[in-house]
Amino acid sequence: MTTRTCSSTRLGALVPAAARPPLISKIMISLAIATLALVAALGAAEAAGPLDDPAFAKVITCGACHGVNGNSKSDMQPIIAGLDAAYFKRQIESYATGKRPSPEMEPYAKQVQFLGLESIAGFFAAQKREPTPLRVAPESIARGRVASTPCMACHGPDGRADVARLVPPLAGQPADYLAQQMLLFKIDTREPSEALLSAKKAIMRITPDSQFPDLAAYYSSLR
Amino acid sequence: MKGVTRRQFLRSSSLGLGLGLAGGLAGCAASMKGDFAPKSGRRVVVIGGGWGGATAARYVRMADPSIEVYLIEPNKEFVSCPFSNLVLSGLRTIESLTQPYDGLRRRGVKFIHESVTAIEPDAKRVRVGEGYLAYDRLVVSPGIDFQWEQIEGLPAVKDTVLHAWKAGPQTVELARQIQAMPDGGNFVLTVPPVAYRCPPGPYERICQVAWYLKTNKPKSKVIVLDANQNIALFRAAWQAYPNIDYRASNKVTGIDTSTREVRTDFDKVKYDVLNLIPPQRAGAIAVQADLVGADKRWCEVDHVTYESAKQKGIHVVGDATIGLPVPKSGNVANNMGKAAALSIVSLLNGQTVPIMPPGNTCYSWVSDREAIAVVNAYKIENGKVVQIEQKLTPAQSASVAQRAEGWRQSIWADMLS
Repeated sequence: MTTRTCSSTRLGALVPAAARPPLISKIMISLAIATLALVAALGAAEAAGPLDDPAFAKVITCGACHGVNGNSKSDMQPIIAGLDAAYFKRQIESYATGKRPSPEMEPYAKQVQFLGLESIAGFFAAQKREPTPLRVAPESIARGRVASTPCMACHGPDGRADVARLVPPLAGQPADYLAQQMLLFKIDTREPSEALLSAKKAIMRITPDSQFPDLAAYYSSLR
Repeated sequence: MKGVTRRQFLRSSSLGLGLGLAGGLAGCAASMKGDFAPKSGRRVVVIGGGWGGATAARYVRMADPSIEVYLIEPNKEFVSCPFSNLVLSGLRTIESLTQPYDGLRRRGVKFIHESVTAIEPDAKRVRVGEGYLAYDRLVVSPGIDFQWEQIEGLPAVKDTVLHAWKAGPQTVELARQIQAMPDGGNFVLTVPPVAYRCPPGPYERICQVAWYLKTNKPKSKVIVLDANQNIALFRAAWQAYPNIDYRASNKVTGIDTSTREVRTDFDKVKYDVLNLIPPQRAGAIAVQADLVGADKRWCEVDHVTYESAKQKGIHVVGDATIGLPVPKSGNVANNMGKAAALSIVSLLNGQTVPIMPPGNTCYSWVSDREAIAVVNAYKIENGKVVQIEQKLTPAQSASVAQRAEGWRQSIWADMLS
């Protein structure tokens, strides 16, 4: 954030490290920090707010389902805050062409393209991700953890994103959303015949449907 | 102050300095005399705390917390029209659709639980109680009111004939009547001519009541008198309900409560329980303030800012608007509320108003566990909202119903949290 960079620079200029005895230096640093924190906070309070980012006004339709800033709190609509921009863009393009079929997302994906895919992808990538509120049973999480071994090859031990391989973060996603996506992979309606997803789909095909809620519970519980 | 960040604290305290009296206004009509809350900074007043108004209030505060926001809404709590058809089938309670306004209060929105009696655009103020409240910009989100006079015999009986088209006591009463109806009784529902609030709403309602009757009163029928032409969207869903007697292009013209009969140009139909949804127009305050167009029903607005075509400084959002190729839905009202709010913040700060086309997602429950959806996305071309595309779910499913639940959770938070 700009304010933080700015205050540390000014702090460095005000209090050269070796120039003063340690105690006075310490007091002065504390005072300076306090003053600067107050100045920064007041500055922030006076800022015009989210409209400073021109992309904020482009995502108002997204917020109705995905939450303001993409941090969905529902069990079914995925969290899109903090998604890697390349992954986000790929999904929007797949929705818009119908490769990833969704009656909800196809029209909205076209709207995103109309408003500017690049800036909207950048907006969501820059948002801090807040994990889904925990609504899953501990036993289900425990069973999911055991069942997750085959998933680790791509999703790692913690369900985090692997940006280079276009692997999205699973950690903290709403459980019902994850379970539904597993089913879509299994029946091959999500990007059919896409080579990038063939390994994923092969694993889903040999995973019994009854295991999806547990796997979903486990990954949604990761923080 | 639990859970309040330093930034939020500074925002609210800096506002608190100038405006000490805010908290004491709610529901205090007697104290509302003269200029009962003198304006010291920039102020937006919102009339109506439904899907459009609540969203507008929230987004003005989010986008610029230095702007004071008053929301004037007679109801103390928010009751959701979307999902209220599920109250009629007993699948939901009205309480589960009722939400407090606490989230908006935490954002610093100031509430007056009264009705606005007049708008004075030249003086830039609204009249409440015996006093008035000044504004820099006004948002009018009045919802709909009914054209009782369009149906012979209806003005005399008005609210005693249930519309249940504003979620609340009427919804609960209609559910009670349906439950109390003897097996073999006829439930009659009349659909008004377009334009009316929530285009798929009557057809979702038909599904819900038919599902309930099929399950609980198998000898009963749902007779539908639809002023409009044959509705295609729900035909597949209705296959499951042989108890539906649907009569298209059959506009109700009169009612006689003494003989328990409604009339159309073709039919006279006896009812045991009647749900007459009258023709509609913009909420009364919009008509009274002359925000409606030549049709005396709906309000024309700018497609970017939602500023009234008739009055500068007044923005109209939600079901009361006309002229955009969008349905009168909660989702659209929410989007309009945001666009109006961000336009107002931009205008008050001397910034360019961004282009914010709306979108629409309408879920309809066709049974106790399955739903369908209609989705529309829009763009803005030459200052006008234009549809990009409309999509329907390929079939009814439990998965769509799950997404409907998720949508409800998300959009309520987007209005009220």
